Amino acid sequence: MKNPFSEFKDFRPKKREIPLDKIIASKEKVMQSLIKAYDKLVEQEAKELVWLVSYHSVIRAYASAEKTIKNMEYGVEDIEEFLFEIEDSSKLPYPIMGLSGLYVSALCNRAKEREIVLDLQNRNIALHLLGYRLPKGKKLIVYGDLGDFTGIGLNGGEIWVEGNTGNWTGAGMRMGKMVIKKSVGRRTGEDMVGGEIHVEGKILGVGNVRYGRIYEKGGIVSP
Amino acid sequence: MKHIPKSTWLKIRRKHFFPPLPFPKVAPKDQKAAQKDPKIEEGQGKAVLEIRNKQITIDSGFLSQISERMPEGDAIEALLDHAIAHYAFCPWDFANYLRLYAEAKRVCKDKDIAKKATDHFMDVVVDTYCVKEKESTIPSLYKHMEKGKIDQVICALYQKIWGKDLNVSGFDELVKKLMRIPYMNKKRWAEGIKRFTHALRPLLEEEMFNPASNPLGDHKSMFSKESIDKGLMELAQSASSPKEFSELVNDFKEELEETGYLDQGIGRGKGQESIANILYYMKLAQNYTLSLKKLPEKKSGSIYPHSHSPWEIEKPYYDIDIWTSFGKILPGLTQVWNRKEGEILYLEEKVPNCLIIIDSSGSMTDPRRNLSYAVLGAACACEAYLKCGSEIAIYNFSDAEVGGKCILPFTKDRMAIYQSLCKYFGGGTYLKPSDIQVFEDNDNDMDIFFITDMKISNFSEVVNYFNNIKNRVTAVHIGESVHSQRFALSVSKKTNISLYHVQKKEDIPKIVLGQVKEYLHQMF
Repeated sequence: MKNPFSEFKDFRPKKREIPLDKIIASKEKVMQSLIKAYDKLVEQEAKELVWLVSYHSVIRAYASAEKTIKNMEYGVEDIEEFLFEIEDSSKLPYPIMGLSGLYVSALCNRAKEREIVLDLQNRNIALHLLGYRLPKGKKLIVYGDLGDFTGIGLNGGEIWVEGNTGNWTGAGMRMGKMVIKKSVGRRTGEDMVGGEIHVEGKILGVGNVRYGRIYEKGGIVSP
Repeated sequence: MKHIPKSTWLKIRRKHFFPPLPFPKVAPKDQKAAQKDPKIEEGQGKAVLEIRNKQITIDSGFLSQISERMPEGDAIEALLDHAIAHYAFCPWDFANYLRLYAEAKRVCKDKDIAKKATDHFMDVVVDTYCVKEKESTIPSLYKHMEKGKIDQVICALYQKIWGKDLNVSGFDELVKKLMRIPYMNKKRWAEGIKRFTHALRPLLEEEMFNPASNPLGDHKSMFSKESIDKGLMELAQSASSPKEFSELVNDFKEELEETGYLDQGIGRGKGQESIANILYYMKLAQNYTLSLKKLPEKKSGSIYPHSHSPWEIEKPYYDIDIWTSFGKILPGLTQVWNRKEGEILYLEEKVPNCLIIIDSSGSMTDPRRNLSYAVLGAACACEAYLKCGSEIAIYNFSDAEVGGKCILPFTKDRMAIYQSLCKYFGGGTYLKPSDIQVFEDNDNDMDIFFITDMKISNFSEVVNYFNNIKNRVTAVHIGESVHSQRFALSVSKKTNISLYHVQKKEDIPKIVLGQVKEYLHQMF
């Protein structure tokens, strides 16, 4: 008996390509490399069950992050999209927020763009350690709230947060400027050696500030 | 042109693999819509396409306007491509629409903005689908159409992702974000709409102050009742709590009423929350199928011819079998039928009515706050009996002695049944057997479905009652406790009582209604 579908054997549906296909393909490639690098970082750092923020662990993790992204080409949109990937816990096996924050900081510090805008409003992520070592000439604008250790070790860059930040904001910052539109937590500016922190809301507590200035609602609170 | 040429419709249907849709219409704008939207009345409204319950209607005014700028046939083709793709690709059905809407709402928290975002996202998906997969004149339509701010952004996006010039410039930053979304990947629509809504939110908020209807119509009225039914069933299953379901259903209350899905008046005043709650348990229960045993064969008392024996003088003539007697009446030769009481199907194996006894005391979960296994289990039982054409009576109790009870006589009214089921009293637990007796007097053969955590203050009285009735009882206890163990022990010898234990949602389908242990004894 003749197969009634044999006539369609050579039928191939026309495949049209539109620019979207290429855009998605190249974007996917970049995203895969960003995720792979992040996985590698987590693998290196999560050997112990708990990743604790300490002076040495932050320096070590940041150095590893810088190393993993060394030869990568990406843009601000890729960073923003990576944050969506972090939010979707099914995609990343270990969304450790401290490490994620350090990794995103490394991405921001190495990005070609001088101004980086991240919109974290209405998102299920609490990034810690964002803005670590942001260099001079770079501006990071964040819409939404950030976690602890925002802007630690700030290295001359500018951070604008249109929301709240957690404890230890600006800890150990060397130079640069931080503007927080809402409130900050305790130990703000702990061990900072330069730069300025402007808080337009309330400061829950100021840390041991060596040098630099902290302002609350326009008035200086430290020194 | 006042109508769509048949050849055009045939061409478009072929292109979309013959979707089962009625012939589209060209008509002036809906008067009702015009009354709601003053802009439309003034002739400035932009909704040019209406899809209502599978009927596609194109605005004749728009067609005559656009025909000055592009061939009318091309405009019709583009509009029909767009409309059909909503049925053939995105959202496909109400369940998908709800899923997308839920994701959008998670980002923007506002129902109107979320609805707009969902509509725009679906438009981008179907337009891109038509341009990529079908030869469509959609780009030409967008090039010549009047555009609002969001339309301009979307056209700027189309320029990038389709590689066609649509006479729009600017919005580069926004388009950079939007063009990275995988619109053609169905599996990634959920994350796609999140990013889409996130990026467009400021513009959508702006649009709320300066409302402009979506030029290609909104998509809320395009679903049939069956599709809504299926969508709500899926939503009930995927929702994490009755509250989440209620919120989403309340967001679509107007649309559901418009399609006639909700009876008028049900959603008024304080009842608003409960209707969504009722719908939640109704739709969730419809996802489950409980086994229901029909009543057993019963000796009816009638006798039928069973075997032969020789006829004797004193035996009656009417039992003589003339065939085996060879037509002769002679003792010893003539044979008579021996008759035997037969087992015949009782009432043609009709499923009896069922009395649902549900505990809604303080120790039970409040069905409005969390998923109540008691309400869900009882709802599943109701559905099983209703499907068989039986009637349901409800006895919802907490402290029945002080009035904590709700009694519904036998009925097939699904809404009334669910309203009685979903009532929550809280407080103590006291079951009055005399209340149940009233139901029994009305229907002697009724089945009883009893669902509780067995923490009943007059426990001994209840056990006594169940030990003395002959009706088929399906008793379900929620959670494990000393009381449930005591109940199990007390009724262990009763063959008409089957006891089930429900600890999680997955235990509910294991319940077999009306199962009587005696059957098994008979079988083995």
